[in-house]
Amino acid sequence: MNQSGFAGYHPFINFVYFAAVLLFSMFFMHPFMQVIALVSASVYSILLRGRGAVRFQLALMLPLLLITAFINPAFNHAGVTILFYLKSGNPVTLESVLYGISSACMFVAVLLWFSCYNAVMTSDKFIYLFGKLIPAMSLILSMVLRLVPRYKDQIKQISYAQRSIGKDVTQGNWLQRARNGMTILSVMTTWALENAIETADSMKSRGYGLPGRTSYSLYRFDNRDKGFMALMLSLVTVVIIGGINGENSMRFFPSIKAAEMTAFSIAVYAAYLGLCMLPIIQHMMEAIKWRSITSRM
Amino acid sequence: MQEQRVETRGYGRRTLVSAFLFLIVIPGTILFGVYALDDRKYYFISLLIILYTLLPFAMVFERRKPQARELMVIAVLTAIAVAGRAAFFMLPQFKPVVAIVIIAGVSFGPEAGFLVGATTGFVSNFFFGQGPWTPWQMFCFGIIGFIAGLLFRKGWLKANKRSLCIFGGVAAFFIYGGIINVGSLLMFTPSISREALLATYASGFWFDLIHAAATVIFLFVLSKPMLEKLERIKIKYGLIER
Amino acid sequence: MEIYHVQDVSFTFPLQERKALQNIQLKVHDGEFIIIGGKSGSGKSTLLRQLKPILTPHGKREGEIVFRGKPIGELDQRTQASEIGFVLQNPDNSMVTDKAWHELAFGLESLGLDQQTIRIRVAEMASFFGIQTWFHKPVTELSGGQKQLLNLASIMTMHPSVLLLDEPTSQLDPIAAADFVETLRKINQELGTTIIMTEHRLEEVLPVSDRFIVMDEGRIVVDDQPRKVGEALRLMNHPMFTAMPSPMQIYAGVTPESPYPVTVKEGRQWLDRYMAEKPIVRIEAAQFDDEITAIPLAAEPAVRFKDVWFKYEKNGPNIIKDLSFEVSGGQFYCLVGGNGTGKTTALSLASGLYQPFRGKVYIGGKNIGSMNARELYNNNLAYLPQNPQHLFVKKTVGQDLFDMLTHSSLSKEKRADKVQAVSEFLELQPLLTMHPYDLSGGEQQRAALAKVLLLEPSILLLDEPTKGLDSFFKDKLASYLKQLNADGVTIIMVSHDIEFCAKYADVCAMFFNGSITTSGPAKTFFAGNSFYTTAANRMARHVWSHAVTIEDVIAQCRNNG
Repeated sequence: MNQSGFAGYHPFINFVYFAAVLLFSMFFMHPFMQVIALVSASVYSILLRGRGAVRFQLALMLPLLLITAFINPAFNHAGVTILFYLKSGNPVTLESVLYGISSACMFVAVLLWFSCYNAVMTSDKFIYLFGKLIPAMSLILSMVLRLVPRYKDQIKQISYAQRSIGKDVTQGNWLQRARNGMTILSVMTTWALENAIETADSMKSRGYGLPGRTSYSLYRFDNRDKGFMALMLSLVTVVIIGGINGENSMRFFPSIKAAEMTAFSIAVYAAYLGLCMLPIIQHMMEAIKWRSITSRM
Repeated sequence: MQEQRVETRGYGRRTLVSAFLFLIVIPGTILFGVYALDDRKYYFISLLIILYTLLPFAMVFERRKPQARELMVIAVLTAIAVAGRAAFFMLPQFKPVVAIVIIAGVSFGPEAGFLVGATTGFVSNFFFGQGPWTPWQMFCFGIIGFIAGLLFRKGWLKANKRSLCIFGGVAAFFIYGGIINVGSLLMFTPSISREALLATYASGFWFDLIHAAATVIFLFVLSKPMLEKLERIKIKYGLIER
Repeated sequence: MEIYHVQDVSFTFPLQERKALQNIQLKVHDGEFIIIGGKSGSGKSTLLRQLKPILTPHGKREGEIVFRGKPIGELDQRTQASEIGFVLQNPDNSMVTDKAWHELAFGLESLGLDQQTIRIRVAEMASFFGIQTWFHKPVTELSGGQKQLLNLASIMTMHPSVLLLDEPTSQLDPIAAADFVETLRKINQELGTTIIMTEHRLEEVLPVSDRFIVMDEGRIVVDDQPRKVGEALRLMNHPMFTAMPSPMQIYAGVTPESPYPVTVKEGRQWLDRYMAEKPIVRIEAAQFDDEITAIPLAAEPAVRFKDVWFKYEKNGPNIIKDLSFEVSGGQFYCLVGGNGTGKTTALSLASGLYQPFRGKVYIGGKNIGSMNARELYNNNLAYLPQNPQHLFVKKTVGQDLFDMLTHSSLSKEKRADKVQAVSEFLELQPLLTMHPYDLSGGEQQRAALAKVLLLEPSILLLDEPTKGLDSFFKDKLASYLKQLNADGVTIIMVSHDIEFCAKYADVCAMFFNGSITTSGPAKTFFAGNSFYTTAANRMARHVWSHAVTIEDVIAQCRNNG
């Protein structure tokens, strides 16, 4: 379990943080805001998953990015600065091209934030967060997460067993193979259903279904969490106030117009930068502290 | 007797909640979206509406205090669908999920169908990665399971191969493909123009077709044995509907 | 104090005429450790499930069960859940959630305890059972023994006063099983928890128990201290006596006196006293070797491994290291050894499921790598997987058997004849119309064996076929295997069951660290080991090192008597 750095904070903090940065990066199209989100999300993603994994992901995203950037001007003809005309007679405008690029950046930032989310918000944390709100559903979640690896293993074992009596997914013509593959899925289903009854017995035997079920967790909201939460929420508040005042937005149509730079807007961008960089800063501070402790030992 | 009463009260509550949602919350969301959010309004309005539809199912299910065996059936079917999705990872779009969700809906009713579908959409992304697509997938799978269960109860969908295959193909192509494409379009365009929508559908056409074909094939082969197995379990252990 | 009072209880399953339990009378006192034994289907699990109403199957019950002075039916759900713990047979099926810590807390969550109480209880139990090191792990990463221990711990967190266990060690290897029994002893001794458990494997558990109850056909046959039960069974000439620990059987085979020994230690002490009065004739191992008839070697061995190396992943560790051995036609060859030594992998290599990355495997002289599936699995190899359920694809046993012949060119009558023949051979006729999953473990094993025998194999590969079977089914299985052997079928078996191998195998080989360390004719093989050998041998090896089975030791005693 990844418990170091930001992931080591209370799940509620993890969840609120990701909800905030995801929503912000979807809403705020101001170039500064976008650059801040994109850079922070990339750095954090690299920190969590390594350079190779992120590069691979970006490579996968590239075609999507290009399509996004091009599809918009092809269908969106609003805007005043006309670059050229398409065969169909529709104009391609500078505004729509820029909007396409901006959308693409937004999309990449969202995907990168999600990749961080996937590394930090493990199923344990999700089950804990929603355990009180939707207890039955989150128990189902936990059960499914327990069953899936078991079923994958069973599929392998069943396919071996079937192969050794000559019913093999890797042998025979296409139709036979498909049929044998389905047989395996079918055997697995029987096996799963019949065995599940005993699991239901085990649940009942341990009192499942009694009124007033509680949900236990390993997490505690400690003082460190409180401090972090206060800092995070104050940054979020500043960014939201900025958003309400239109500092974070960018107008694309009919003509491009971004919010002007003022002392207040700079403060908002700084708060956003602080918010997005929060896990990275936390990570770095921890590393520095650790180094100083070990050097003294 | 006891269960019957709970059941009807559950439906009543659901109707109430749906009415509340349809008459007040959804129009409110749309209005809020149109006035308060500019560029991203379509995406957010649609996303919120999807969440609203997930909500009553979760609420009714939780209120009903489902028993161990019921949870187990939903967990098992979901896990089979997720494991099935993983087992065919090398073939994009060729997935048994819709087929299994339809079978779940037919065998255990609309609610179970919805729950199996939505949970599959959610949990499989713990293995494949959560993203902005998660709520859309949850909604699509869920609603297909729900409709399958509902049509079966009404007698319009029969538990035979032909009927299920036709429904499966249509559901995978039009319901799943239809909604998912809108979702991905809304992710990165400010407005829905007819051309953009058509282009998105065109680009997704082959994917949706493979998905539909896979669903038909899976239903053709799996529906009969799977439904028989589920019936056997229901009889052997007196599950849910009794 | 009296915990249970079972008064004249009978039980009938729905749609059945025969009573599964007949007039059961039973009193259980606080702190007792009780074992219930008997054949599969003797009603022991049914009785156990009567003691926890929420797990009692549908059916008609007569008589009354009183729990702590109150009729058990009046027990409310909450008391029942916390006071009466129940450990199920299959550890994998009992686990509900995905993490070990959550599994520990599951019962306490159901009882609605608050966060702080749960935290304390979970911490206590994790420490008592030594779970701290894998507390955070996903349950799928645990070993079989750890899983069953976790199940036990997750029930003990609820502080039950009675613990019911339904064949808890049947799915475990011998070492994990012994550990589990030791933990039960600790719970019983240190916490005073009453334990009632059903069990086939009595060797380890009888010595730590207070009472042993034997059931047969739904009735209690004997109910007494373990050593007295042995005596009583012997007097009744009851078949259950063959399931009793080896020292007891040997003792009874030699002298009719009491008290009967239960452990190997007691058996050894008795044997020393017994032999002290006799002129000792120690037979040397070499002398004994002559008695073993040499198995005629065929020109070409049925299975031959030549310098085989294997690993699952390119950068993974070697699982099989430089393995070479031969099995000649018509031999019964057993691979024994601990968990994770690679013996099951070796069997998979012999069945062609995997290919060695170095070295070769020959089947009947042909390289397995160059054979296609048809050559391999038609009239040649057959592999019976550890879980027979993996072979069943149809709704009834009969259909499942016919399914094996769908691609054969035989006429309909011929197919029916073949199915008929194999079901006669394995006594499956009464089961043909049943669903494979409605059969008992031993019956499933037989049905699966029938399936693979329809391929008419000349080589049969078995992966722990005796796991979870009672001693009667084991004997039955052995008789089928011996018959196949006599017909010229080669059998290679992987097993933890030393007693079974010693009794029936021609050749045994010890697997360790990816290769075979020693091998030889079964008796010489076990006579040569000092720890990894049968209980009978451990008891008598200081007198007759080559006496391996119960019958051997009894014969030696009589010869010298």
